[in-house]
Amino acid sequence: METLDISLSRMIMLYGLCLLPWSLLWAIGAGLSRDIGIGIARMTLQLGLVGVYLKTLFALNNPWLNAAWILIMLIVADFSILRRAGLKPRYFALSCFSAVAVSILLSSAYLVVLVIQPAHFYDARYLVPLAGMILGNCMQGNVIALERFYAAVGKNQTEYTTYLMLGASRWEALLPYFRQAVKSAINPSIANMATMGLVSLPGMMTGQILGGSDPWIAVKYQIAIMICIFTSTTLATVINLKLSLPIAFNDYDMLNERLFADSKH
Amino acid sequence: MAENAVAIMPAVIRFDEVSVGVDGKNLLSRVSFSLRAGEKALLGGKSGSGKSTVLKTLLGMRSPTAGVVYFNGQPLNPITVQNIRRCIAYIGQEPVLGADTVRNALLLPFQFKAHRHLSPPDSRLKDVLQRLRLPVGLLSRDCAGISGGEKQRLALARGLLLQKTVYLLDEVTSALDAESKQAVFEVFADPQLTLLAVAHDPDWLERSQTVFEMHAGQMTRTR
Repeated sequence: METLDISLSRMIMLYGLCLLPWSLLWAIGAGLSRDIGIGIARMTLQLGLVGVYLKTLFALNNPWLNAAWILIMLIVADFSILRRAGLKPRYFALSCFSAVAVSILLSSAYLVVLVIQPAHFYDARYLVPLAGMILGNCMQGNVIALERFYAAVGKNQTEYTTYLMLGASRWEALLPYFRQAVKSAINPSIANMATMGLVSLPGMMTGQILGGSDPWIAVKYQIAIMICIFTSTTLATVINLKLSLPIAFNDYDMLNERLFADSKH
Repeated sequence: MAENAVAIMPAVIRFDEVSVGVDGKNLLSRVSFSLRAGEKALLGGKSGSGKSTVLKTLLGMRSPTAGVVYFNGQPLNPITVQNIRRCIAYIGQEPVLGADTVRNALLLPFQFKAHRHLSPPDSRLKDVLQRLRLPVGLLSRDCAGISGGEKQRLALARGLLLQKTVYLLDEVTSALDAESKQAVFEVFADPQLTLLAVAHDPDWLERSQTVFEMHAGQMTRTR
């Protein structure tokens, strides 16, 4: 079963649908016209480029090119996580990259090599979109974990130092904040699994069904991706936070506030 | 304790030409002093003169830019800091109890690996509370309803339960009534306990063998 293509004229017609919300927002004076224009233009350009590189990647199906693409995705994700979490990349780039890379590679390899088992493990059709999807979700978790953890330690400095003075090791004193940050990062993915299929049909499954897959196959892939997202998010957040500790705290267990983006240094 | 007896005791705390600076600003300038075991010292001075920085530097919360801090003859460094912190009780103006009930707050330090083997029985918790003139019924109370003065005495109780011998107090009796204050003074009448107290209270002045005055990061001994 082939997916029906959308011709250029019908795509233009589709963009026309945006006129409806645009005029509605304009009428209530929401002042979003410029943002809507930029949003739609960026989406079109970015997805256009994705289309071009995915076509090239699939056509060439070269293991080195696929690996290079995953590496680029990891580097972009690394900087994006740190920027959004308010941590200075020059201090945390390596620890964050290592944590995310290990988790993504492990879960993607597990899924592709052991579970899906395509003819070539590096097959771009499987490896690139699956790794990309896992990475995208894992990124969110890491932003939440890092941001929540360092905000909590910064806000509760007196409490943290009290624990230290009462004989806690650095790890013991940080554990309540660490635990809370990891929970906040993983909760969305647990909630997502719990409501999957009830609240909405998941994007990947919908895409596969539209692409002509059997619904059962689409369901299995959706379960596989959700388990990998959950696994990689948990692994990456725990490793990322753990690796960041020796950088963020000095030898006397004090938080070095200069390492955060909102510091003046 | 007689001053002569203190004089022959070894120095527990020693600052040797210690300077502390942050962002080019000098918080402490070449501060030198020592306290012997059992000595009771008062640290006076205006707000911002560096009193709290002295206490924080001793606990490794501020790193010296010059000079060395010694505790029981050991220099303060990343290897010794945890051990030094375990020997010192620091009680600030607004201590954090860090638990839901008073009992759990008193037992909090015994959850940490360093003190797990020292976990005290209930009878000892009661003894310590009575010593500080706190009602035994307080044990089951929620920490949310505890007053500032009670918090300070509970923080002190934790130090006593941990059998600490060196106490750094930062304006601890400021929120206490006369009777509670007396209980705190009675605790520190113990010749085993070494005390460095930041206070403006004349009662502390009366009970201190040694008095230091801080002014713009510099320390002078006035008694």
